[in-house]
Amino acid sequence: MHQTHQQDCIELLVEKARIGQIDRRNFLKAAGLLAALPLAMRSGIGWAQDRPVVIVNWGGDAIDAYRQAWTESFTRETGIPVRIDGSGPTEGAIRAQLASGRPSWDVVDAEPFTSLTLGREGLMRPLDFNTIERSKVNEAFATEFGVAGYLYSYVIAWDKERFDAAPQTWADFWDVERFPGKRTMYKWMNGVLEAALLADGVAFEDLYPLDIARALDKLDELRPHILAYWGSGAESQQLFLDREVSIGQIWNTRAIVLDRDTDGRVGWHYDNACVTPSSWAVLGDNPAGAEPAMRFIDHALEPEGQVELLRLLGNGPSNPAAEALIPEELIELNCGSVENLARQFKLDIEWYADHYGSVLDQFLSRTGA
Amino acid sequence: MITRLPEHWQYRLLLWPLPVLLLLCYVVPFAGIITWSVTLPELGVDNYVRLANDPSIHAVLWRTLYLCAIVGICALLLAFLMAYCWLYSSSRWQRWVELCIFLPFFISVLVRTFGWLVALRNNGLVNGWLQDLGLIDSPLALTRNTLGVIIAMVHFMVPFAFFPLLSSMRQIDDRVLLAARGLGASRTRVFISVFLPQTLPGLLGAFIMVFVFCLGFFIIPAILGGGSTLMAAEYVFLQMFQTYNWGIGAALCVLMLVLVSMLVWLLMRFSRVERLVG
Amino acid sequence: MNIYRVGWLAKLLALITMGFLMLPLAAVIPVSFTDKRYLSMPEGDWSLRHYIALFNSSEWINSILNSTAIAISAALLATLLSTTFVIAVWYRSNQWTRWLIGLCMLPLIIPPVVSAMVLYFMTTNVSRIAPSLGYDSLPGVILSHTLLIVPFGVINMLVAISRIDRRIELAARNLGAGLWQTTWMVLLPNLRLSMLTTFLLCFILSWEEIAVTLFITSWEVITLPRQIWSGLRDNVDPVVAAISTLLITLTLTLLLVRMAVYSWRARQHP
Repeated sequence: MHQTHQQDCIELLVEKARIGQIDRRNFLKAAGLLAALPLAMRSGIGWAQDRPVVIVNWGGDAIDAYRQAWTESFTRETGIPVRIDGSGPTEGAIRAQLASGRPSWDVVDAEPFTSLTLGREGLMRPLDFNTIERSKVNEAFATEFGVAGYLYSYVIAWDKERFDAAPQTWADFWDVERFPGKRTMYKWMNGVLEAALLADGVAFEDLYPLDIARALDKLDELRPHILAYWGSGAESQQLFLDREVSIGQIWNTRAIVLDRDTDGRVGWHYDNACVTPSSWAVLGDNPAGAEPAMRFIDHALEPEGQVELLRLLGNGPSNPAAEALIPEELIELNCGSVENLARQFKLDIEWYADHYGSVLDQFLSRTGA
Repeated sequence: MITRLPEHWQYRLLLWPLPVLLLLCYVVPFAGIITWSVTLPELGVDNYVRLANDPSIHAVLWRTLYLCAIVGICALLLAFLMAYCWLYSSSRWQRWVELCIFLPFFISVLVRTFGWLVALRNNGLVNGWLQDLGLIDSPLALTRNTLGVIIAMVHFMVPFAFFPLLSSMRQIDDRVLLAARGLGASRTRVFISVFLPQTLPGLLGAFIMVFVFCLGFFIIPAILGGGSTLMAAEYVFLQMFQTYNWGIGAALCVLMLVLVSMLVWLLMRFSRVERLVG
Repeated sequence: MNIYRVGWLAKLLALITMGFLMLPLAAVIPVSFTDKRYLSMPEGDWSLRHYIALFNSSEWINSILNSTAIAISAALLATLLSTTFVIAVWYRSNQWTRWLIGLCMLPLIIPPVVSAMVLYFMTTNVSRIAPSLGYDSLPGVILSHTLLIVPFGVINMLVAISRIDRRIELAARNLGAGLWQTTWMVLLPNLRLSMLTTFLLCFILSWEEIAVTLFITSWEVITLPRQIWSGLRDNVDPVVAAISTLLITLTLTLLLVRMAVYSWRARQHP
């Protein structure tokens, strides 16, 4: 009995090691614990390298989804183990990583302006377009330091039980008479100032450069009605699940999950949403080295994985070749489809690359009050 | 081997390892923080000028001081009550009081913060009870705001205020209280005129201690504040890991240290530290 | 004491306070049995799925192992350092040693976030010379925790050693014992129990440490509190409720055992 159980454990370990869920050191540790080191050594797993590629994303459901869509297949094909860290690669977090003298991150799923800003300062690795097939994405989505892995959007979501009408515009978002209840918005500012300006009557095409003072003033109007600024996708989900807020500016990916988890109690749409690409980028002098990191990015641009991610989370594919593979029922969810793009405005990456750091500081001091 | 060393060397071997370690790994790096505050992003006292002039930083600082004071007073009241009950009741009661103080004390601040998040949510325990009792119609906003932060911080601080208060209460000579009763004073009178004045140094000491502890807190505000109760410590955390203004973060740290030193000096001045510790 | 009693009002208020102190702990427990994948009260069906998820997750198990290793090492180091220091101060105390005691209290007095900055500076600089000893490494975390908890060790040991009769030293010295022998054969046996309680206190403090750990770790060394932190911030995950319930149960059991032992002892030696 004992023997069988041990055998079973070892098989499980070997399997996990094959698909890269555990790295070599932990594998040996665990195998050693099972007193099965010799057996494990004979199991014939090819360790491509000691150090797994560490991929940093935004946590929550995205960790499992990335595993299913990208990293498991990547490890199966290349033998390179991958670990996903969900702690959120904000610009400051990447800088702090680099300054620590012992960065552990390799590939980051960053904001496009982050990779641009940091790349221009020489902190990121220039992408190797020999390994990464540049033609896999639209011309506009690939820069020297970042290539879009998917598209996502900051949408208006609302609790259908609170009011019958659907809030359509940002002016509706600000209208607490017609749409009573608490609000939530993104803590790290993306799309928030734009929303305030749109609510104040600015047109899509006149948004940039942002009138920061005007936006912050408009935001002050809403202050008593903002329950919380969410810092992570899961937090925004929880706010709706607990009925703490009636309207929110949240990621389309979370809105889709919410719609599903609440049996349609939470509604959302792409009208007036803020669409933006993500950006795969590689830290300068990343611990796993350039080669495996670039190979992973290239793998993540394959259409199959991108469609899988759309199915799991709702992220829109960045590779045009994926369009053809999207099943009927998912077309409507894709924030990158032509119809949906027409309803949204685009985040100005250049503006953010130039202003994000200093404006974020102002924004946080104002919202934190 | 060690016994062969001359005695004063043996003594030094006992005395110095800890202070030397602290000097090297704590005091010297602190000098590094001071350096950051005057060199990042560039050489000069810009960061301190900003600390002195930036209204949004002032707002953060005032909010911190004000919240710490409220938390200090509330925690003190509750701890006073608990210590008082411990001192003058049966041993059964004492066991219960101890359990209620020790259990939260030994449980991680994260678990407790999480507990408050669960208890104070819109459809959490507290709102549920209030609604069942018919006291309110719609849920009260108890968390993700300043109120939630205060509740959780008071909860965290009660045990810290309890121990120094108890030790100062235990030093009160019961015979004095009995004598006052014997002279015909009512129980309330004895409490107000005899008991309370004698605990004042202990109260002041405990207040300063709680206040100092609160200053450096960022876990509770970060989780329960809903992004709208920015306090000094979380501000430093943001400057380090989100907005990457290490200079201003370091300057704020130096400022906090100065403030704390002043408070500790006050503490030494007005109440004897040994008594609090013992 | 019979004359001076606590009034009913004070007792009632104290009861409410006790409820307040227990409330957040009690609130966590039912949530851990929810059958939903998000934070909610169990309605109807109670489920163990989040406990199963906890024990099947290599991340959670690893974090528990990490925390245990760190807390044991840091508590041992802190106990050792504070005991030797306190003994030396006990032998000879003067203006100088009072300053040194003040120095040892620094990490206790300085706000945690400032300590976090300081230790971040320390570990990242160590990393530049020896990467495996500094930032985001096991030795780095152990050293940082040791520095943070050592004031509690010093306080605890100072209190303990002040209870030792000074004539013990004189007697030992008169019998010809040197400093080392006096320490080893006379003082330490008398301090054994206090060292044990110091170790336990330090263990708990290190086991729970989060503020500084957040600054000085990133990926390699994830402690249990750090794992809970990311569970709370990135993902309000009912697994957090499950581990919290386990921690509460464990602490409660230990406290009850301790109280039982005390009252048993009290009955043995009235």
